[in-house]
Amino acid sequence: MADNDGSGRIEIQNVTKRFGSLLAVDDVSLEIPHGSYCCLLGPSGCGKTTILRMIAGHETPTSGAITIGGQDVGGLPPVRRGTALMFQSYALFPHLTVRDNVAFNLKMRGVAKEERASRADEMLALVHMTPFADRMPAQLSGGQQQRVALARALITNPRVLLLDEPLSALDEFLRLKMRSELKRLQADLGITFIHVTHTQPEAIALADLVVVMNQGIIEQAASARDVYAFPRSPYVARFMAGHNVLHGRLLASVAETHLLEGPTGARYRIPATAGTPRRTGEQVFFSVRRDLIRLTREETGGEAVENALQGTVEAVEYQGTYVKVTLAGASDEEFIVNEPEHAYFTHPVHRGDTVVASWGVEDVHLLEEDRAAGTKAAPYGEEAA
Amino acid sequence: MQRLAPYLQVAPLTLILGVFLVVPVTMIVLVSFWSYDEFDIYPDLILDNYQWILTSPVTWSLYLKTLYYALVTWAITLLIGFTISWYLVFHVKNLIWQIGLFLLCTVPFWTSNVIRMISWIPFLGREGIFNQALMGAGLTGEPLEFLLFSDFAVILAYVHLFTLFMIVPIFNSMARIDPTLIEAAVDGGARPWQVVFEVVLPLCKTGIALGSIFVIALVMGDFVVVRTMSGGQSATVASAMMNEIALLQYPTAAAGATILLVVVTLMVAAILRVVDVRRELAG
Repeated sequence: MADNDGSGRIEIQNVTKRFGSLLAVDDVSLEIPHGSYCCLLGPSGCGKTTILRMIAGHETPTSGAITIGGQDVGGLPPVRRGTALMFQSYALFPHLTVRDNVAFNLKMRGVAKEERASRADEMLALVHMTPFADRMPAQLSGGQQQRVALARALITNPRVLLLDEPLSALDEFLRLKMRSELKRLQADLGITFIHVTHTQPEAIALADLVVVMNQGIIEQAASARDVYAFPRSPYVARFMAGHNVLHGRLLASVAETHLLEGPTGARYRIPATAGTPRRTGEQVFFSVRRDLIRLTREETGGEAVENALQGTVEAVEYQGTYVKVTLAGASDEEFIVNEPEHAYFTHPVHRGDTVVASWGVEDVHLLEEDRAAGTKAAPYGEEAA
Repeated sequence: MQRLAPYLQVAPLTLILGVFLVVPVTMIVLVSFWSYDEFDIYPDLILDNYQWILTSPVTWSLYLKTLYYALVTWAITLLIGFTISWYLVFHVKNLIWQIGLFLLCTVPFWTSNVIRMISWIPFLGREGIFNQALMGAGLTGEPLEFLLFSDFAVILAYVHLFTLFMIVPIFNSMARIDPTLIEAAVDGGARPWQVVFEVVLPLCKTGIALGSIFVIALVMGDFVVVRTMSGGQSATVASAMMNEIALLQYPTAAAGATILLVVVTLMVAAILRVVDVRRELAG
C-alpha cells in the first residue's frame, strides 16, 4: 500500500487475457491519467469490456499487470482497488428499494442505518432521483434505473468509475441528455471515468482520451480530435466514419509528392512525408475526410485527372447541416461525400447521376498499417457525427 | 355460448378440486363428528372424538415428536438444497452439465420410496456395512447403536427422501438470478457470506418457501418412514391415525386428520405470511 498515491491514474502494462483458446486482449499497454475521461471504443468482441472488467477486478489478466495510483492491484477485490463498476444491465438488486440499493456498500461496511439512509439520499439528490427513494427498481424506467446504478457506484467514493456501455439501452433523446450529465459529473468529481462504448459520436463527444480497439489490440489511443481528424490506420479511419479510405501502388516520386495508382486505375497524388522513405510499387493507404471532398456534376471525359474519382450516385441522405452522398464505382470500398447543405441544394444530384469527386493534395491524410491482422471494412460506427 | 365459455374453461379444474379435495376433506370433517362402537360407525354430531384426542397426553407428545422431525429435516434439507442449487447454478456454467447433474439428483427417485428407505437397513445395522467398516478401520471398538432404529435413522431417511423437493424449487428461483447481481454485490464490497445472505438468499425466498411447504407437509403426514426406520420405537401423528384405523375407529382417526390438517394449514399460512409467493411468482 506504500506506493499507492491515492490517485485514479491507471497503467495497463502488457496485459493479455485468454478465454480458453480465444485471445480477448493481446499484450495491451495503456496509461490513463488521473481525472481524465477515457473511452474504450470498438466493435463488440474487440476486448474493450474485458479490459474494463480486468481493471474492476472481475476478471484476472492471463499475464501483465494493472496499477491504479501506482499500486499493483492484482488479486485485490474491487472495493480495495477504489474502483466502482456501473453494469450495462445496471444490475440493481430487485429485492431492495432504490435507497437500499444505493446504500448497499455502506450496509456491507456496517454503517449504521440512519447514516446509511442519509448518505444514500445525498447520492440520490446528486443524480436527481430523490422522489423515487422508496420505489423498487422494477417500478423505474431504464433511464431512472441507470441513475440509481450511478448513485450506487458513486457512494463507494471511487477514484475510478468504470462504465460498461452506459448509454446503449437508452433512447436517443435520453442518451444525449445522460451523455452531457456524465461529462458534467466527471468534471465535478474530478475522478477518472473509463467508459466502454461502440458508438464513435459518444466517444469523441465525451472523452479526453479515446482508445480505439480492434481484435484485442489498441489501434490508436489519442485525443478525440486526433483520433477523428488524424486516424492512425485504415481501421481507425473507417471506424470513425468521417473518412474515405483509399490506397494505391506507388508509381513515382515527384518533388514533394508521390504519385499512386489505385486498384481501379485512378491516379492519386499524396504528400511525401519527411522521415518515411517509400519504395516504388509499395502499397500506400491514405484517407480523405468526407467533408473535404468536392462534387462536380460533369464527367471527366475519360482523361486521367489526379485525385478525382468518377462514380454513380447510389444514395442521398439529408442530414440537416449536410447531405451524405454515397457513390458507387468510385473506389474498391465505400466512398461517401458529405456536401454542405447549401452547396448540395444549389446543384442537387440524384440517384443514378454520374459525378466526379475530387480533393486537394493538402487534404490527403496518410495512414499507417493496421496493427490487428486481417481487418477490412468496419461494420460499426456508421452513425454520422 | 359466449357467456358460457369462461365457465367451461374453469370447469376441469373445478371438477378436479371438487372430486379430489373438497369432497374427501368434507367427508373426513363430517365423519370426525360421528360416533362408533366395535362394529360400526354412526352419523352423529358429537365432540367426543376431539375431546379424547386433545386431552390425551399421547397426542401432545406425538405432535412434539412430529414437529421435531419436521423442523430438523427442514433445516437439513434447506442447507443441502441451497448448497446443491448454488453449485448447479453458479459453478456449473455449462447448461448441458447443469441439466445432467440436475437429473442425477433425481436418480434415487427412479426406485420406490420403500426400497430407498429399506436399503439403509443393511447399511446402518449392527452388523451392517458401515459399522463393519468403522470397526475394520479401527475407529470404533463396538458397533454404533444409534445408527439404525433411532431418530437419527428416521431423519436420515427423511432427508434422503425429501431433499429433492427442496432442491427443485430453490434451483428454479436461483437460476433466475442475474449473475451480474453477484458481481454487483462484490463490486459494492460484499464479502462472500454477505453475497449469500444479502443477495442470493432474499432472491430465493420463493423457492425456499415452496420447498419448505413440500418438506414440512410430507414429514407431518408420514407414518411409513418413521415406523420402518425407528423400528417401531417412535411414532408420528399420522401413525396414531393408522392405529385407530386398524382398530376401525374411523371417527377418531378423522378427528385426528382434521386437527393435523388445521395444524399444517397454519404452518403453510405462516410460511406464506413471511414470503409472498404469489407476488414473487408473478414477478
